[in-house]
Amino acid sequence: MRRVFITDASSVSFYTAVFLAYGKKEAYISSEKDTQLTIGDEQLFVEADREKAERVAKKITSIDRFAESEIDRVLRSNKKEKCETAFRYIKLLVREERPVRGMQSRPEIIALEECLHSVSREIDKFKGFIRFIETNDGVFYAPYSPDADITDLLMPHFIGRFSSQKFIIHDVGRGYAAAYDGKSWTSGDIGPVEIELSDDEGLFERLWTKYYDSVNIEERENIKQMKGFMPVRYWKFLPEKNGGDFPGHDTRRG
Amino acid sequence: MDERTLKILTEAAKYDVSCSSSGTSRSGAGTGIGNCAPYGICHSFTPDGRCVSLLKILLSNDCVYDCEYCPNKHSADVERTTATPKEICDLTVAFYKRNYIEGLFLSSAVFTSPTKTSELLLETVRMLREDYGFKGYIHLKGIPHADDEITEKCARYVDRMSFNIELPSEKSLKLLCPQKTTESITRPMKLLRGAQIYDKENKVRGKLRSIPAGQTTQMIVGASDEPDSQILALTEALYRKMDLKRVYYSSYIPVVQSPYLPEKGASLLREHRLYQADWLIRFYGFDASELLNPGENLSEEYDPKCAWALEHMELFPVEVNRASVEMLLRVPGIGQKSAYKICAARRYGKLSFDDLKKMRVTMKRARHFITCDGKFYGEKNFSDVKKLLSAGEENTDIEQLSLFSDGDAALSALTGEL
Repeated sequence: MRRVFITDASSVSFYTAVFLAYGKKEAYISSEKDTQLTIGDEQLFVEADREKAERVAKKITSIDRFAESEIDRVLRSNKKEKCETAFRYIKLLVREERPVRGMQSRPEIIALEECLHSVSREIDKFKGFIRFIETNDGVFYAPYSPDADITDLLMPHFIGRFSSQKFIIHDVGRGYAAAYDGKSWTSGDIGPVEIELSDDEGLFERLWTKYYDSVNIEERENIKQMKGFMPVRYWKFLPEKNGGDFPGHDTRRG
Repeated sequence: MDERTLKILTEAAKYDVSCSSSGTSRSGAGTGIGNCAPYGICHSFTPDGRCVSLLKILLSNDCVYDCEYCPNKHSADVERTTATPKEICDLTVAFYKRNYIEGLFLSSAVFTSPTKTSELLLETVRMLREDYGFKGYIHLKGIPHADDEITEKCARYVDRMSFNIELPSEKSLKLLCPQKTTESITRPMKLLRGAQIYDKENKVRGKLRSIPAGQTTQMIVGASDEPDSQILALTEALYRKMDLKRVYYSSYIPVVQSPYLPEKGASLLREHRLYQADWLIRFYGFDASELLNPGENLSEEYDPKCAWALEHMELFPVEVNRASVEMLLRVPGIGQKSAYKICAARRYGKLSFDDLKKMRVTMKRARHFITCDGKFYGEKNFSDVKKLLSAGEENTDIEQLSLFSDGDAALSALTGEL
């Protein structure tokens, strides 16, 4: 019989689950949202326990000081099997008692790399695809809807770039946002947002769209390649791609 | 800046291939706006499949030169306009703040004189850095025949400069760009190379350092009759002697009618093959002379690495569990990522054919050139290998590419991304 440890999707709950499931036969970990049970599975709801979680995290870090941040990234993925991927990586790590990411032919590492790659790739994409809208109180607001939960991981990049600009990055799909006030940043859950645009915003969005249209070389059209690099699901928040939704409107919802 | 000016100055700049924003790392701490990521960031992709990373724009398209292939040549009947440095700076910063772009790629037609033009370019980049406190990426196109001192001053404000070679030989340059000379292009390139060497030897750091992201250049392929061997030999010299960061190729597109120019554009497949060979020279340890004999062109049928391997079957198959990384990189189908994975994984145990497949090493071409723990999984008969490789290579792509060689069909431009 399979025993499935079900977490509440937080990392504390995940590490607690690892503590409970480690060494047990037929033990699996899944986050609540991702669970697909088959008949006969035993479900065990994990109660997050900070002390147990810390013991696991400490053990992992003592073997490989980069492993915890890798696991953090994996848990941010939207893949159903992410918890299990992280769990199997931890089991391999503890069994080998040494860093294992070089074991490129092991199934645990292949799954890990794939998951890490998808999250890292999306972070890199959104460093480019985030679009800020200037509001009439001088704050720059960027709604977006990524696959993985990457808002916290994008913040250091944008703070480095716009260190004297107040801004908010809003993951519309998850209802989660991070805000920077020019000195420090915080993040948390947030509902729908309505903003008022600055006077210049419409002008610059139009200029940008004009630029985008002008820089294209028509003789060399290659839509497939464009969509490969910039998937259609990301277009909604790109002014050059969302079909000129802006003229005349001075508010925007995100 | 108004929409009309932006349109004219962008359309005139768009044939410049370079769009990379990599090579500089600059912190954004303190006052001002922006920083530079060493790896470059793409902010959008246009319907031609190219990435948009920089605001690519001319200061002016009002040109005194009359280069045959150029849509802005003096004798062409096009709308002319010139922007002010302030207009360029305002637009760059407004775009940058909204995360539309990584920085500015500024170029210009030569209005009045080369020196006057560069003075205005210098004023623009100075204003952007000093008055606007902009710390994002700036790529400035150099103006041939400009005063040395101005070129050197520009180099201290910008991340990258490029003087375009335009054509692969002096003969073609004379024919198609009568007012430019090879010397007017190579001289400032050498000047900048000198500035870089000086900075390195004297440990000049930070703001005072000239072009931290180096130099690049671009040449048009297929507007004149140089073979690929000549183009690649030139490329190799530019990388190894001038320390250029990138050489861009652009297949000739017939925008302008001229008796000196071919009627048809060059095939994009040719451009693609040149980029593949360029990669082999820079990252895979190949010399230009290994890939082609004098006077030859790159094969259309096989990619350059494949073509090389088929000529050197005596070196294959290699054993993946023992081969040096240099040799693995020479196996068709094994790229840098796969070579790294193989080298990392084999420290923990012998690798089998199935292991490689699971590791997502593409075996379609590689299997004819390797053994896994002594076992060979490829075709034994050489002519079968040849047949499989030529048919097997990105079948659909070739079909699509050959459409373009036939005429005016629209097509893949891999240039910007590569």
